Amino acid sequence: MWKDYELDSIISKIAEPLVLWQTEKGLVKIDKDALAVAAKLGDRKEGYVFHGKAKLLLDTIVETEEGAIGKSIEREVNEPFIMLRNTEKIHEHLSEANSEDLKRMGYENPQGFEARAGEVFHRFFKRGHTHDCQCSGERGGSIFAFQNKTGRFDILVLDGSKLVYKATDMVFIADGRKVVLKSPEQLVVSTDRKLVSIAKSCCPPAP
Amino acid sequence: MSEDLKEEMKKLKEQVTNLQDQLRGVIDTERKKRGGVYIDIGNAVQGYVEDEIQAVAEGVHGELEKSVFIGPRGVRIFRRRAPDREEDEHKVSLADVAKVMNALGHEHRLKILDGLMSGGKYINELQEQLSEITTSTLSSHLNVLEEAGLVVQEKARGRYLITMPGRTAYRMATKAGERVRQDDKECHTHCCDSDESDAEQV
Repeated sequence: MWKDYELDSIISKIAEPLVLWQTEKGLVKIDKDALAVAAKLGDRKEGYVFHGKAKLLLDTIVETEEGAIGKSIEREVNEPFIMLRNTEKIHEHLSEANSEDLKRMGYENPQGFEARAGEVFHRFFKRGHTHDCQCSGERGGSIFAFQNKTGRFDILVLDGSKLVYKATDMVFIADGRKVVLKSPEQLVVSTDRKLVSIAKSCCPPAP
Repeated sequence: MSEDLKEEMKKLKEQVTNLQDQLRGVIDTERKKRGGVYIDIGNAVQGYVEDEIQAVAEGVHGELEKSVFIGPRGVRIFRRRAPDREEDEHKVSLADVAKVMNALGHEHRLKILDGLMSGGKYINELQEQLSEITTSTLSSHLNVLEEAGLVVQEKARGRYLITMPGRTAYRMATKAGERVRQDDKECHTHCCDSDESDAEQV
């Protein structure tokens, strides 16, 4: 199915600061003047590739009876990133980008941005980060893909109160009262604040 | 210092004196053979060895002091920990320990931790519990607790949560406080009893 996606030829810009996602767990927002190009599936706009100043805020914290585990992720996103699904209302906040807008983001011409956005978009799909069913059905939810320092993607999948965040060194899954946090040091599973923790590098027990 | 230790030290000193005499004999012989400058190594060695013995004896005494605790409840002997455990303890950064102890070392910060023990709270909820301090003071206390890893803030909601180490540290601090108060009380009772009995004797 991903092969059927294609990037639009129209390059837009964000007309005003825009919150792309927000719940009590975090938010993704993008600043004014960021560039955007739509990803189309047939005639339908199914997503966007954005490039501008964006911010990801995510509380990957597990609250348990034994205390909180995890951290709050606060990340400035300056590289192009992808948002798929639930993008119907975004076009209301877009206006056509001109050459000044492109230059501000470091592109000489529209083709430069198209090429960069296309490269990111196809790299994301080619690595098999998404399955067809996740991108094509009528299910709600969104997928964000942020490039990290290693050139891979940190992926945030959202569906109502359900959330999955997969980064290089961690996985965070929140599904109502169930929360899973996997880091290099430990695996934490919490249900109704009850905790199961598996340490990966355990110390010898005290005698 | 115990009598056994004194006896042991005396024996060691005697052995050192014997060794010193033997050494002096060897040096004298060598001096006669070669001639030239004579250095009294014997006295230097004796002084050095005596210092070493003294240091060892003090070390033993110190260990005994650390292991045996004589309090109002009687004598307690603490078992020595396994070597690997001890090594792990040394790996702990003292700076981190100091950070945690510093974070715990303020009544208001302990009150904040106490407030968070029942669940996450927003700053205004904490402010209600600590009405005696300003919001900016409360914020700076929260920063200290966050720096030490005892508290974490959910950035999206702004809520503060006590961490697992925070809970452990708070429990240990309150336990220590309780223990000191208990010991003080017992000591006070004991001292008062002694005073009374002394007075009766007089």
